[in-house]
Amino acid sequence: MKDKPRINGKEYWRSLDQLGNTPEFREWVEREFPQGASEMDNSWSRRSFLTIMGASMALAGLAGCRRPVEKIVPYVKAPEEIIPGIAQKYATTMPSGNYAYGLVVESHEGRPTKLEGNALHPSSLGKSTAEIQSTILDLYDPDRSQSLLEIGVTRKWDDFVAFWLTLGAEYSAKKGAGLAVLSEPFSSPTMMRLKTAFTKRYPKAKWVSWAPSADENIYTGIALASGKRLRPIYAYAKAKVLLSIDSDFLLTENDSIVANLGFAKGRSLDSEKDEMNRLYTVESLYSPTGAMADHRLRLKPTDIANFAFALADELSAQGLKHSLRAGLGGSLSASASKWLKPLAKDLLANKGRSLVLAGANQPPEIHALVMVLNDALGNNGKTVEYVEPLDSEFSDMSSFKTLTKDMRSGKVGALVMLGGNPVYNAPVDLEFSKALKKVKRSIHLSERVDETSNEVLWHIPKAHYLESWGDTRSADGTVGMIQPLIEPLFNGKSAVELLSLIVTGQSVAGHDLVRETWKPKVKSNFEKTWRRYLHDGVIKGTAYKAVRVSANGNKISRQSKVTDGYDIVFHTCRTLGTQGSANNGWLQELPDPITKISWDNVATISPATAKDLGVANEDMVRITLNGHELSIPAWIVPGHADHCVGLALGYGHTRSGRVGNNVGVNCSRLRNSSSLAIATGAKVERTTGTFELANLQDHGSMEGRPIVREATIEEYRKDPEVIKEMVEHPPLLSLWDDYEYTEGYQWGMAIDLTTCSGCNACTIACQSENNIPIVGKVEARKGREMHWIRIDRYFSGSVEEPEMVHQPVACAHCELAPCEQVCPVAATTHDKEGLNTMVYNRCIGTRYCANNCPYKVRRFNFFNFTKDYPEVVKMAQNPDVTVRSRGVMEKCSYCVQRINAGKKTAKLEKREVRDGDIVVACQQACPADAITFGNLMDKNSKVSKMKKRNRDYHLLQELNIKPRTSYLAKIRNPNPEMPS
Amino acid sequence: MSSATEHHDPNCLVTGNPTFESITESVSCIPESRTPLAWKIMFSISASLALGLFCLIGYLFWEGVGVWGLNNPVGWGWAIVNFVFWVGIGHAGTLISAILFLLRQRWRTAINRFAEGMTIFAVICALIFPTIHVGRAWVIHWTLPIPNQMGVWPNFRSPLLWDSFAVGTYFICSFLFWYVGLIPDLATLRDRAKTRIRKIIYGLFSLGWRGGNRQWRHYELTYLILAGISTPLVLSVHSIVSTDFATAQVPGWHTTIFPPYFVAGAIFSGFAMVMTLSLIARKVFNLTHIITKKVLERMNMIMLLTGMMVGYAYSMEFFIAWYSGNIYEQFAFVNRAFGPYAWAYWIMISCNVLVPQIFWFKKLRNHLVVMFIASIFINIGMWFERFVIVVTLARDFLPAAWDYYSPTWHDIGLLIGSFGLFFTLFLLFMRFLPIVAMSEVKGILPQADPHKSGEHHG
Repeated sequence: MKDKPRINGKEYWRSLDQLGNTPEFREWVEREFPQGASEMDNSWSRRSFLTIMGASMALAGLAGCRRPVEKIVPYVKAPEEIIPGIAQKYATTMPSGNYAYGLVVESHEGRPTKLEGNALHPSSLGKSTAEIQSTILDLYDPDRSQSLLEIGVTRKWDDFVAFWLTLGAEYSAKKGAGLAVLSEPFSSPTMMRLKTAFTKRYPKAKWVSWAPSADENIYTGIALASGKRLRPIYAYAKAKVLLSIDSDFLLTENDSIVANLGFAKGRSLDSEKDEMNRLYTVESLYSPTGAMADHRLRLKPTDIANFAFALADELSAQGLKHSLRAGLGGSLSASASKWLKPLAKDLLANKGRSLVLAGANQPPEIHALVMVLNDALGNNGKTVEYVEPLDSEFSDMSSFKTLTKDMRSGKVGALVMLGGNPVYNAPVDLEFSKALKKVKRSIHLSERVDETSNEVLWHIPKAHYLESWGDTRSADGTVGMIQPLIEPLFNGKSAVELLSLIVTGQSVAGHDLVRETWKPKVKSNFEKTWRRYLHDGVIKGTAYKAVRVSANGNKISRQSKVTDGYDIVFHTCRTLGTQGSANNGWLQELPDPITKISWDNVATISPATAKDLGVANEDMVRITLNGHELSIPAWIVPGHADHCVGLALGYGHTRSGRVGNNVGVNCSRLRNSSSLAIATGAKVERTTGTFELANLQDHGSMEGRPIVREATIEEYRKDPEVIKEMVEHPPLLSLWDDYEYTEGYQWGMAIDLTTCSGCNACTIACQSENNIPIVGKVEARKGREMHWIRIDRYFSGSVEEPEMVHQPVACAHCELAPCEQVCPVAATTHDKEGLNTMVYNRCIGTRYCANNCPYKVRRFNFFNFTKDYPEVVKMAQNPDVTVRSRGVMEKCSYCVQRINAGKKTAKLEKREVRDGDIVVACQQACPADAITFGNLMDKNSKVSKMKKRNRDYHLLQELNIKPRTSYLAKIRNPNPEMPS
Repeated sequence: MSSATEHHDPNCLVTGNPTFESITESVSCIPESRTPLAWKIMFSISASLALGLFCLIGYLFWEGVGVWGLNNPVGWGWAIVNFVFWVGIGHAGTLISAILFLLRQRWRTAINRFAEGMTIFAVICALIFPTIHVGRAWVIHWTLPIPNQMGVWPNFRSPLLWDSFAVGTYFICSFLFWYVGLIPDLATLRDRAKTRIRKIIYGLFSLGWRGGNRQWRHYELTYLILAGISTPLVLSVHSIVSTDFATAQVPGWHTTIFPPYFVAGAIFSGFAMVMTLSLIARKVFNLTHIITKKVLERMNMIMLLTGMMVGYAYSMEFFIAWYSGNIYEQFAFVNRAFGPYAWAYWIMISCNVLVPQIFWFKKLRNHLVVMFIASIFINIGMWFERFVIVVTLARDFLPAAWDYYSPTWHDIGLLIGSFGLFFTLFLLFMRFLPIVAMSEVKGILPQADPHKSGEHHG
């Protein structure tokens, strides 16, 4: 049964062939599922994979307007009238475990196409991430489950309702004994209300929440120090000195937008006179946060704890009073020991203005230690506050373990899984799949017929959050409303709807369930208030009050683990994140900001470890841990901790869909419930064979070229013009009189490399806004990726202790554009506003422009990458942007469609375009606010001011191409007392 | 003054003391005799490969240029390499016809006909590549200044546009030159024709040539004018082709030495190809008395000269890159010699610079096997020269954008197919047309010289 597809398409006929039920069609259907992705692997191009995709025409009939029946409220424009061609914006919220991100969704004639952050929401602040941006594509994923299944047989929702009526009554009679719910962690008032009702109806039933990557260690650690399960809320902008203990707060940790914005605020410089924060990072893997650090120490996971405790000792040696016991740290390497004194001194000198952070991967005692240190350093209440999350269910490993034990022993008669995919990602020692087989009646709510759904009695298709009603609480407690932008494309049900059925036995619409939650809470005029909630997307004033607690380090202890063998770090993938779908082509093709590998996960190792193992890039290694083993290609990362292997989670699906199946390796197969994040004592050895990876950047050195100009704050203060002086060249003269761009609007962009953390949000925002196709692994490996804005990553310094910089590169709209001069048909030309425009239908595809572009930002359609898109994927396309066909060149247009929209609005209002009216997609998404765009003629515009800063420089300015995009040099703030 | 030992007259360019009649006989009998088996075999191989070329082009149009190994930094690959290679090959013909004609280098008569034929066939092969290498070949005519309803002209600043003019002009002039030169010989074939069809076809194409005095006068004047027109073309075509690279700002492309260097290289490769073909032809069709060793030796000397010009250009590129102080230029050249494509660079240096040096030795430049092998090596080396130039794209300004380019089976197939097409056309030419300019060879016979006993100024 396992390998038999359980998806039955909806009963739409797909083509005349199907109506005729010809043998060709039979073959077509048989080939369609579930092994589509393997076809992709074997073929030489993505085209054949798209041909397979083309078979899925099931949704052809659905491409029309599907506005929800319930009343939803537009964010900006009136809902009564839809003006064709004019996009509408609605507020909603994307739930993400115990976190949530407020969004404003652009909708074209009832079809959401683009996600942007909601400025009113405290966790998105108008910004977003690659992971958030990518979820719009998940909505239109043709591999999402299309029907409710009972052991693979299509059923209707009413069938399930009937099934549950009997079963629910049965368990109600037993007070819920033998009934269990396995949910994902959530923070939602409506979910919590329903959960309370569930416990009331089934008092003996079990409710367990679990997620493969969660913040459990943070809460446990804080509870260890304070006695309460609290969540720390950091004021990054206020911190002058930050110490990150294995925390990748700029990317993979939760609530990273707030971290990015705050950190960038404390870091950006108007001039050499400004103060900037300083970041120390101690970590095992190289993270984007480590790349931003002023000082970075690479330690293997077991040494990080040694370091943290040694630092606590050093702080007390330098006079800081704290409650931690002394002498808990173990032995440290010489380079790590040298860090302690100056670091402790710097922290002490910035009492109340410093911040110590630990990554969610770190064990609870480190989080307790961090809390104690922040307390002792006077940061509590200043740079860090603690709140008590309400309406929240947290991931709990131990009760999940108990649950599987009960399942195995047959104590669980019925299991309702509200989302999650435990068969795929539960720790291997739980043997979840075996346990699940012992459960007589299992129900799984899931967006796709995934590994878990394949083994249950009932599979219920889960609605995407853009199709559902709901509510959320963000990190700081602010309630965010989830309102649907479209009626469920595949008739999915949301978690609240299913839970409500479980509790009441009645099928109630999500809309009513959410209103039911809020009606009693609103004192007067509910309808008006409700409209306000939906309009804003958030409920103001619902943030938690900070809890005043003090930390006590007495209870903190640690068993010093003596380990031989390798340390393994299981980390959240830097591109898929925790919520990103493996079947999302945008995320799969997005290169990892550190390794630059797309379409696969790898075992990251340091150059020294590679030497020990005799391994080169792409060599296969076998990792053995607790009797389990897996083979995975190795990748050498300079600056990675020695004797330690990093494994990204979220890959190696077998039932995620045609994009995500068999991409990468499922590293959950090595995870143990007792060492979810960090495992020790692994055996790593080289095996035979290699594996071809699609690395999107082959070369990591700047070759001594002034590409990313970088200086320390000290150098910069000594000579504020140091950046400009980094390149000397003869006077730049033209052979002819240049066109004077002095009239009207002149568009330009500035990118601040001091704050850019290389998080990739811009790349995906651009991909979503500009209908950029994915090309698949084979094509990506050839170097044919289509990203209009890419992030270049360079290493500097030694191979062992390198620094890393990121530089976003897109078309710079050069005034003397080299591409324009060589095009034989004048398909790329300049307009009066300084835009280097691409005329797609004039382009004949000589690729000469791409050759002559010194930034290499032009992208060529080697095949017709979009032709065979399934109908439903076409719905994700932005109607304001031309979809390019085969044989033409494309590149960043500065979001010309947004410029024109802004100009149109201004004209209708009989005024000039104001600064900030036009926000381009990459700028809009950038969580560090590193990208500025605007009119250069307006001397007061933000971009003009940015370009006036003395850090501003033109990339390759010696070519005299006069790019409109300039960069603000990267400034670091190293502590002169630190060892170099 | 050089002389060949086997000649009874050291100044004579033909051996075996042929008469006018024996020249006519030995050249004309080739198209008049029965089709040799060897020809049939060779033709079927070449024609199959040519057919393969058109199938590959069909597949290319169906799928898109993604079937090639191109990637993001390397937007041009084998297609452009092949284009420049074939255009280069096509240089020798016109050089021999026009420049050597004007310089009164009369040894050229033995080889000029099929050097010209080779030119035309090589340019046909060359023209295929820029046409098919674009992403949307069905609108390739937009590169030409054809009045259109869109009111859009091509971009006259683009070297690709100059290319289409330069190569087009070159093709037309070379073709006219070749055809005009053929007229007296076609008339000879017409006069000797025994079947009606031959009579009609040769008669049609010989344009009523009777060999009268006035006709000869007009003919020679026309030939001279065409030679005058073609002479600048020999220099301009490859100069223009080189601007495809030289006007770009890619490090390693953006050099002023490119035009003369490309012309020298083109003549070099063209002569190598003429050498390869004439060695085969003289053996197969028994023309050793017309295509004498003396002629071959002179060609070898030209190859030695142009090979050293090319070698000079290679070293001057390095010098200027260093002297300019431009880090990108410097890197581009160091990278050529020691980077990922160093293997190609050293193949190029070995074949183009080292191999011709053997022609310093008289014995070697008169040795048929040696010169045959050397000519093959030079052909290979000159192909690699263009390859080395094109793949300079792989590493330009921003190291993050660097990548490695390697061809696919389709790229390789196109190159092989283009050789198929070339040889198909060449074999047809050898079968049906006089491969040596009989009338011109007769002009260099001792008996055609009224001052036969006087001093020769060779």
